[in-house]
Amino acid sequence: MVQATETVKLLLGIGEPLIGRLLTYDALGMRFREVKLRRDPKCPLCGEHPSITDLSIHRGGAEACAVSDNGHAAPAAAPAATPRG
Amino acid sequence: MKTLKEMLAEARQVVPEQGPAELKKRIDAGEPLVLIDVRDPDEYRDGFIEPATNISRGFLEFRIGAAAADPTTPIVLYCQSGLRSMLASKVLKDLGYQNVTNLQGGFQKWAQSGLPVAKDRPMNAEQIQRYSRHFLLPQVGEKGQRKLLRSKVLLIGAGGLGSPTAVYLAAAGVGTIGLMDGDVVDVSNLQRQILHTTASVGRPKVDSGTETIRALNPDVNVIPLPMRIDVDNVMDIIKDYDLVVDGSDNFDTRYLVNDACYLAGKTNVHGSIFQFEGMATVLAPNQGPCYRCLYPTPPPPGLVPS
Repeated sequence: MVQATETVKLLLGIGEPLIGRLLTYDALGMRFREVKLRRDPKCPLCGEHPSITDLSIHRGGAEACAVSDNGHAAPAAAPAATPRG
Repeated sequence: MKTLKEMLAEARQVVPEQGPAELKKRIDAGEPLVLIDVRDPDEYRDGFIEPATNISRGFLEFRIGAAAADPTTPIVLYCQSGLRSMLASKVLKDLGYQNVTNLQGGFQKWAQSGLPVAKDRPMNAEQIQRYSRHFLLPQVGEKGQRKLLRSKVLLIGAGGLGSPTAVYLAAAGVGTIGLMDGDVVDVSNLQRQILHTTASVGRPKVDSGTETIRALNPDVNVIPLPMRIDVDNVMDIIKDYDLVVDGSDNFDTRYLVNDACYLAGKTNVHGSIFQFEGMATVLAPNQGPCYRCLYPTPPPPGLVPS
């Protein structure tokens, strides 16, 4: 529902999309929470000095998606919960 | 008496002009400009520049207030060749609009430069009824509905997250939906994956999803993509879509979709869910963080169930 609504808003260019905000939903407690997100200037993809400029990191072994440690832990803005599948 | 030439020369003194390439840059940068096509409705229907509103020259003074309430709003006007809109721009200047630009060479030059042209097919009676509740919403309206019908969305995953998204987008009349999933329907999927039915157990999810969507809304052109997204196909697939919805169920795919969308400049509507918890965000290249800003490294294998 949230993804569909955001999609329609973005396609129409209306409202305030969830850019820079993470919306979390806890069905048992029936609580929505919003976490502000910031861009990481050290991000290996979209940061100031990107080390990922193509998809070659995804070729090869099982750890393809893991980037080499870029010297910092999860940013302060990251929520305590880990995204799960 | 003034000649046409003199009137145009006078208008050019006060109205700046911009070429198609410059206008395209401003649109792509997301500048909140109001683009107005001042040609007649039949000319507009044959092809226009997205996201223009059509206000024919004769109605401009009457309708401009609804399109741009604030006199400082950046406005760009165009017509077929750039002359009618030059005179129209002068009128807006006279009305007090401070930031009016004329598209030099008009629609003709835009199209000749190979820039994208949008085209509306008239809606049939059934579509007018089907979307009538959208027309009542001022933020959507008939213009918004046409835009949805022209839109192309790629859904990665036709499972727990992709199912409701696909159903809602199809119902809303998103014109093209790429449905990508390499799995077949299992009976254990049915308690949550509402795109599939008991009769489709054992069949590819994209086949069952395509049937559900077509039955719900025949306006939607479904493109079934019965495969997993991978490093070799991702760029070629996402290039055809306006927007990507990530409803995948594993970290490798999420990082891959994130990286590909960022590199291709596509907005990624991200979602994930586990048991009773869910989360969603929009990852828009250069407008906000990407998935790697949130989660620089994936969790070690085995720590998190997928």
